Amino acid sequence: MMRVVISRAATVTALGDGLDSLWDGLMAGQTGIAPFDRFSSDNYISDYAACIENLAAPPGTSLLDPLLERVATQIGALPADCRFLVASTKGEVDLLTQVRREEQQLPDAVLFEALIEKIAKRFSLKTTGYNINAACASSTLAVARAAAMISAGVADAVLVYAADLVSEFVFSGFSALQALSDQPCRPFDSQRNGLTLGEAGVALLLTSEKYADQQNEKPLAVVAGWGVANDAHHVTAPARDGCGLILACQQALEKADIDPSAVAAINAHGTGTIYNDAMELTAFNKIFGDFLPPLHGVKGSLGHCLGAAGGVEIAVACRALQEQQIPGTIGCKNPEAAAQGQISESPQPISGDYLLCSNSGFGGINATVILQGVTS
Amino acid sequence: MKGWINGIGWVTPAGFGCGRENTQQPLCNGTLEIPKRKQVFAKADMRFGRLDEFSRVGLAAIAFCLRDAGTEEWDEKRSIGIVAASRYGCLQTDLAYLDTLLPEQGKLASPNLFAYTLANSFLGEAALRFGLTGNTLVFNHAETTALAPLCYALEELEWGGQQAIIAGICDLPAPAEFSSENETPGSLFVLLSKKPPVGQSAYGALELRAGKLIFSGEPVTDLSALIAACLTAEK
Repeated sequence: MMRVVISRAATVTALGDGLDSLWDGLMAGQTGIAPFDRFSSDNYISDYAACIENLAAPPGTSLLDPLLERVATQIGALPADCRFLVASTKGEVDLLTQVRREEQQLPDAVLFEALIEKIAKRFSLKTTGYNINAACASSTLAVARAAAMISAGVADAVLVYAADLVSEFVFSGFSALQALSDQPCRPFDSQRNGLTLGEAGVALLLTSEKYADQQNEKPLAVVAGWGVANDAHHVTAPARDGCGLILACQQALEKADIDPSAVAAINAHGTGTIYNDAMELTAFNKIFGDFLPPLHGVKGSLGHCLGAAGGVEIAVACRALQEQQIPGTIGCKNPEAAAQGQISESPQPISGDYLLCSNSGFGGINATVILQGVTS
Repeated sequence: MKGWINGIGWVTPAGFGCGRENTQQPLCNGTLEIPKRKQVFAKADMRFGRLDEFSRVGLAAIAFCLRDAGTEEWDEKRSIGIVAASRYGCLQTDLAYLDTLLPEQGKLASPNLFAYTLANSFLGEAALRFGLTGNTLVFNHAETTALAPLCYALEELEWGGQQAIIAGICDLPAPAEFSSENETPGSLFVLLSKKPPVGQSAYGALELRAGKLIFSGEPVTDLSALIAACLTAEK
């Protein structure tokens, strides 16, 4: 089996363009969550979101277009034979809302095949890609799939491009479900009461280690293990016993061929909803027992970026392994007892080679990726 | 890469069905009937009536597929995944949700409809009903043979630890702007297993060789040809 590495990462989030800006913002304890004016929030239970600065598009087009452009300018030219996977839950849903509001005909652009074509064109990719829709685990699952393809030798290089927007469509839905916090979200805090939406565009170039060597790429991290499992419990609520996440983590640990004790830190999904965060802590306590490693979540800074969340968090995890630090969990002032004192609003030092990232989503899906530092 | 086709189920304009009860492949153009609970499950199922049409069609086809394979009933959760390809996904549900959102600026946005504005929601419905703990995803892909989900599933079987994957397609009739004569609305799934079934014969083995699907030694040109070959093989 080929060893798989992440060779490049490009991010656009509410903490700016590029992984440097994102990392610096996270380590400085910044948050991109703020009142917003993209649409009226008068009839919703929150007026907070983590929107990307200066993201604008002409009428009749989607904000995904400038977002794609801002990600693409960072990632550079890609290998000619690069395969690609897209991970977006709702694609150009802002455009869909606009045309429905104006009672216009639906344009092709609202279909994922048009988005896939647009992404292929922008990155000058000759291969055929597809969009993976696994709710908020979409990009984590896409990274797992890309790693599996490279590991099995069916591809040398795979681009994972993920993007989702803060849209009235999604905002109103989470508001109707009473899942939004009326204040900036507080992941893993004992007083948390819901999530805050965010948006992001992210591109990760995965290659075989050998291919990276040949192309003089400087790998950011090794993708050592991955796992995906369904709770088989409920469509919108996580299984309280964390059964699906436990299964996904066990698969990833087995694939990485490591014991849980080798994991130096966890980048958790941490949405800030009561049930998600409790489920995650239950699962992590089951896996790690009394030796839970330091853990953190970024959604108090970036909001919940839906299908792009996992991709952004994996990019952050690459840097965390390099720096041997994890960012603080903004909003977590009184951590849940089940976090065993391993979560903090301030950055924490870590010590070790492996970092576990996980995301869960509607439909009962859970996906886990274990990264390994490149120096080991 | 190889998997045994152990079950086939569908909801299409040709009707609702299981492979072993039919001889004609069902992918065709026409009017798609949205299944009611009684047409799918004998027992009461409170949630079925609340599902959007996309989910009903997909869930019913998965139920018929597992029934055909003799694996609908379960005691313990199983490492079975679902891979569904869809061109339009839940677009019709998205539009229905927007019709609750837009008139009153969000005041009447339907939480129930919103829960089904993710194309993978029906996979969660299937997972919880049938105890499926494998990888569940929808992928959107522009191709006409409808074979991509089967290729994906065979690779997943080879590379992962799942015992079986339910792979297929699911689409409601296209919105007027996109409809064409070549559309085959509906849903069809096959159960691809690492092992042949116990107690009944498989339809046959499906192999992925150098990117091409082979069934009973013959190249597969599209999903309808594969299903036709399976139903012939079964008889």
